[in-house]
Amino acid sequence: MEPMRPNIPPLKIVKSNSNISVLTTLPDQDDSNHTTARFYSHTLSQSEMTPPLTPQVTMQLEPNMEPSEAPRAVFHNYLRAFYPFHPAGDVSPSTVTLPLDQGDIILVHSVHTNGWADGTLLDSGNRGWLPTNYCEAYDQLPMRPLLKALTDFWDIIRGGCGSSLKDFGNQDLMRGPIAGVRFLLEKSECLTREAALIKKYDGLRRIRKALLSDLSSLVKSAKKFQDVANGTPAEDEVEAILDEMLLKAFKIVTRGVRFLDVWNEEVGLGRTIAELETAAPQYDMPPTPASETFTLADIASTSDTGTERTESRQISHSRMDLSRASVRTEMLDHSSRRMSVSTKRISVSHRISYSGPSSAICAQNLASERLRTTYDAFLGVLGSFIGLHMQSRSSTELVVTTQQAVQSCRALLNVVEAVSEHDTQRSVFLEEARESMCEKLSELVQAARDVFRPANTHDDDELVFMPDEGKRLVDAATDCVRAAGNCLAKARLVLEQIGDIELDPEEAETSTNQGVPGIVTSQASPDVPTDQEKPQELSRRLPPPPLTIPNATYSPSTPGLTDATTPSSFQSHLASSTSPALPSALSSLPNSAVLPTQLEQGSFSSYDSGHRESHPKSDISESFGRGVTSTGSSFTYHSHTRDSEMSGLSQTSTRATSPDIGGSFHGSFQGPSLKESVSHSTLAEENEETEAHLLEKTYAHELVYKEGHVMGGSLRALIEKLTAHQSTPDALFVSTFYLTFRLFATPLEFAEALAERFEYIGETPHAAGPVRLRVYNVFKGWLESHWRHDRDDSALEFIMTFAKTRLMTDLPTAGKRLLDLADKVSAVHGPVVPRLVSSMGKTNTAIAQYVHPDTPLPAPILGKKEANLLKQWKTGEASITILDFDPMELARQLTIKESRIFCSILPEELLDTEWTRKSGSLAVNVRAMSTLSTDLAHLVADSILYLEEPKKRAATIKHWVKIASKCLELNNYDSLMAIICSLNLSMISRLKRTWDIVSQKTKTTLEQLRSIVDVSRNYAVLRQRLQNHVPPCLPFVGTYLTDLTFVDHGNQSLRSLPTDDGEMAVINFDKHMKTARIISELQRFQIPYRLTEVPELQTWMQNELVRVRSNGELTAQTFYRRSLVLEPREPSRSGGNLQALAQAQAQSQTQAGSQSQSESSPPNPSILENAKDKFDFLSWTNPSKPKSVVTNG
Amino acid sequence: MRPQREYHIVVLGAGGVGKSCLTGIHPSVFPAALLRMKGILRPNSDTDQFTAQFVQNVWIESYDPTIEDSYRKQIEVDGRQCILEILDTAGTEQFTAMRELYMKQGQGFLLVFSITSMSSLNELSELREQIIRIKDDEKVPLVIVGNKSDLEEDRAVPRARAFGLSQNWGNAPYYETSARRRANVNEVFVDLCRQIIRKDLQGSSGNSDNSRKREGPNRSDRKKDNRTQGRRRSPCVIL
Repeated sequence: MEPMRPNIPPLKIVKSNSNISVLTTLPDQDDSNHTTARFYSHTLSQSEMTPPLTPQVTMQLEPNMEPSEAPRAVFHNYLRAFYPFHPAGDVSPSTVTLPLDQGDIILVHSVHTNGWADGTLLDSGNRGWLPTNYCEAYDQLPMRPLLKALTDFWDIIRGGCGSSLKDFGNQDLMRGPIAGVRFLLEKSECLTREAALIKKYDGLRRIRKALLSDLSSLVKSAKKFQDVANGTPAEDEVEAILDEMLLKAFKIVTRGVRFLDVWNEEVGLGRTIAELETAAPQYDMPPTPASETFTLADIASTSDTGTERTESRQISHSRMDLSRASVRTEMLDHSSRRMSVSTKRISVSHRISYSGPSSAICAQNLASERLRTTYDAFLGVLGSFIGLHMQSRSSTELVVTTQQAVQSCRALLNVVEAVSEHDTQRSVFLEEARESMCEKLSELVQAARDVFRPANTHDDDELVFMPDEGKRLVDAATDCVRAAGNCLAKARLVLEQIGDIELDPEEAETSTNQGVPGIVTSQASPDVPTDQEKPQELSRRLPPPPLTIPNATYSPSTPGLTDATTPSSFQSHLASSTSPALPSALSSLPNSAVLPTQLEQGSFSSYDSGHRESHPKSDISESFGRGVTSTGSSFTYHSHTRDSEMSGLSQTSTRATSPDIGGSFHGSFQGPSLKESVSHSTLAEENEETEAHLLEKTYAHELVYKEGHVMGGSLRALIEKLTAHQSTPDALFVSTFYLTFRLFATPLEFAEALAERFEYIGETPHAAGPVRLRVYNVFKGWLESHWRHDRDDSALEFIMTFAKTRLMTDLPTAGKRLLDLADKVSAVHGPVVPRLVSSMGKTNTAIAQYVHPDTPLPAPILGKKEANLLKQWKTGEASITILDFDPMELARQLTIKESRIFCSILPEELLDTEWTRKSGSLAVNVRAMSTLSTDLAHLVADSILYLEEPKKRAATIKHWVKIASKCLELNNYDSLMAIICSLNLSMISRLKRTWDIVSQKTKTTLEQLRSIVDVSRNYAVLRQRLQNHVPPCLPFVGTYLTDLTFVDHGNQSLRSLPTDDGEMAVINFDKHMKTARIISELQRFQIPYRLTEVPELQTWMQNELVRVRSNGELTAQTFYRRSLVLEPREPSRSGGNLQALAQAQAQSQTQAGSQSQSESSPPNPSILENAKDKFDFLSWTNPSKPKSVVTNG
Repeated sequence: MRPQREYHIVVLGAGGVGKSCLTGIHPSVFPAALLRMKGILRPNSDTDQFTAQFVQNVWIESYDPTIEDSYRKQIEVDGRQCILEILDTAGTEQFTAMRELYMKQGQGFLLVFSITSMSSLNELSELREQIIRIKDDEKVPLVIVGNKSDLEEDRAVPRARAFGLSQNWGNAPYYETSARRRANVNEVFVDLCRQIIRKDLQGSSGNSDNSRKREGPNRSDRKKDNRTQGRRRSPCVIL
């Protein structure tokens, strides 16, 4: 029998590693499955294109069968069934299969390598396994945003992103579907009710209406959900509403798909016919009308020029998908279901020839195939070329990779040329694309030459990475990639038109291609005689159902084939179709059937363990069904009140101004919302509202979301979010904006963008009121509490003009108020209202222990004696040391001192690594913190090192340890850090005679303290403690500074957002959110301590700190010298040496041996010293060690 | 011998030399390159991404330095798997008293300066002295890194000057890197790791002084293999 390639749609599937691992573990679990497993692992590599696996084992194992296709990592989230799939009963008791009707849309969750997919049927919300070869990818351009929105929706609701209810409460969730529907309608020119198409086609009008009503129903559910979530929702109630929302979202998508179908039928078809009549009279297959490929191309044409390679690739994908779809639908019974993508296609020839050839070798020679492989190879080489180039390479490596890159470019060009030769119509586009690619290639070659020129002229050592040349090279390479992508897209387009061609394995020079579009004959691949019959045959009959009877020889080895009904049920199902004995996947079906259990329990023994219920709770949502009422009416108003509570920023300001502005504001607030509530009452008006939603001018598509959080966006989109009317942006978002906007926009740009928002919302009457008010509030908040004179004054004039003109006309009270504010700001230097900074941290004061204001402060522990000493010190009569004071009191005074600085740190000091600026840094308080911390550390060292007697030094050390542990009691980690650091300094820790005297108890305490401020694992211990720490607390500022530095340097300030015409760079708001979050963490602790200050003690401390600081940069060296003077190096070192030697010898004979080996040179004291230090570092935690030191010394 | 080695590496240098970008994330080779080419990234927009580049080789959309693992990285050095815990004090350079705490942790040191700033080079000497003092070891594993090699046009430190420093420091390897382009970043860590491993072996074998680096031909670090062994062994007393 002639082995034949199955006529299975090339569905691209991402192989997930987990699947593979499951399969490869099969042999371990069941030896009888050994062959199967081998079979799988063998075929995995080649099966991406056509799952389910074909069961012709011998064929599969034939080595030359392996197509050299690189796996294509395209996972289609949506499939559309094009054959009905109604298994008579479940395939096995442990799986749920999903019956499909033709045209059904399925949301795919995962695809098993054997071709079965876990999916949810959008029509019903049922979930189960379905054969992917009954389906094809559904990825039509106009539907893309809507589909993506649904995926996101699903991920959030079902994915368990850990989002809280609050996130759902946000109306952002609704933006995706709304924007998606808008996009669909826009692309199909049906955005408004008055659109010509809508008026002309009744069918379109009806579906459009239904679509909008679905949408508004979803929006309503979301509002209801918000209300529920704001209360104290019962768990199952929330679940039920979520399910309901999900079903509604499904419905919208299904409706959208139907809309597009109808549109394609009614509009698209007509257009392409018209197009064909003018453009392609030479087509000799009359009954082959248009393809909507062209239509789509039209739609996409705006984006076609200058698109990125990926984009154009995608477009060509969708084109191919479409063409495939139509091939099938054309041949199917039209009446079987209401399925309107019934357009006949001209690109059938492409399709047939694509799958027609009987062997993979032939397939490789097909132009399309060749094009793809060369392009993939090209991408691979160029990708690694560019990638590797970024790291410096040796010159030879560079030469090699460059050569490879150029070669792969040439290979691709060759194929493209061949295609172009076959193009009877001589597509201009292809020519152009090809030429531009040639150009880029020569540029690349030139750049490469330039890079390597220095290699020849200079000596090798001097051949260095030439950054400029390197950049040019990379630039050229990227251009090349782009041109190639364009070229490929064009070539594919041509191929689609002329039909696929067969290329000579060596040289593409086939001349026989007829290339007549629409002729579904063997001409497609005339060079392969064996193929001549088959494509024809294929083309004339119904496409064979993909599943067929399992190969008898194969099935026994299939694991889990215990269920005898499986094959037979399929057999009976398939018997009706006149399918040839095409290879198919049924043989692997039982495997897939077992998969769920397998995944869960990892063994086949659980095969019978039960029926896996994987339906979502659709039945529950059924009962909730239509119970949605117009509770949404109060929403807008709610959000207003919530706003003032939530966003701490405007908390005070809103309260303050609301009375001022009086009724007019409340009126404008309630007005729209009341209207909305009325409009909920009837369906017709409901649609009005949705309609309004759709017509609203929005930049929401310029936002990047991830797991429900805004990750980035253009300035105008972010501002839109900031001033959204349906939802309150959360406090962090608002704070982040005020805090960081100067990093991504000038104050003037910010003001202008706000004014623009004020302007364009006017096109959306129902939202204009609240949005404008919000715009005003943003201005007000800015002026009141976030104004930075050094930066923002440039925008003041603009704001005043805006207040005087635009604002004054629409909201006179607000205009006046803003003008007043602006006047005040220009007059006063400094914030108008006492600065709340970004109150996000401050609002958390609620967490702090509430202390009644009348609670007396703790009395200072300062006796008469100490007071007298201080007085005497002041007059110069006595000198005092820390030993004279109680450790607790010293810790308190230190804390007061530090806390004062810490609490005055302004957020802007922490932005943009301001504090590291060499000169003119604004971060005075942060600098003061580091200075104080350093001074304190030096003071500790100083107080110890300037004592002559070891005993006294030990006492001082003990005292400092006590102070440190009191600092810990006070949650003063900053001082704790400084003291511990200092005690750890080498000049202190090397004082062995001193440490010998220090009591074990003190050492233990010190060790405990040290473990708290341990720097390893990214300060894991310290971070752990600070988490959920209740203020008052003085955290170690350094960790925040490091984090901020890394966030700043580790995250790009822009991120790219794929759009339908390429990519755009948008603000990486996530970076700023991260920054703001860290700053808010710090601010959380900016709460003063309730401690009594002792001015005299403060003066003394300050004096001491200044004294130490006066040593300047030499402090450390001075200390070290001092340390050496106190306990000279030589004796201690020789002692240490001996000890180390003794230990080393005792420990290992080998070491001693090797020591003697290197006797030619004197033993290296440094190494030994180092070894000794290592021991010493631990020694005093261990009570036995010091003794040995004593004996040695 | 432990099957998996864990080494502590400390990254030091003046602020603004871009060391922070060495260790952490790497705003990826390919996407970043593309972004830059499209004009999305301004060529000099990222001031200095150095430490950030090392820990993750892949493009991550968003880098969170507050998590514990953000400073750990596994690399392969001459066939051995090593785990590096990288201690980077970026942002806290002004807390000079903290430095010793960091240094004590370290087994190997990266001293980073920016080739666009002479003062940043000068600051390294003090750091090295401090390291040697703390470690009490002339030959502590150490690599000199001249970062921002992509800003050749702004070069303020002649290569000869850096090599001079390298020679004065017992031929400590010198690399010129570009964190932004991820040029030489990995090499720096591998070299340092190799030194640490060698030192470890020395500790147990006593075979003190192999030529401490055998890296492949790297134009930036010209090492003289004619180093005199005696010179490197000479005991050093610091006063």
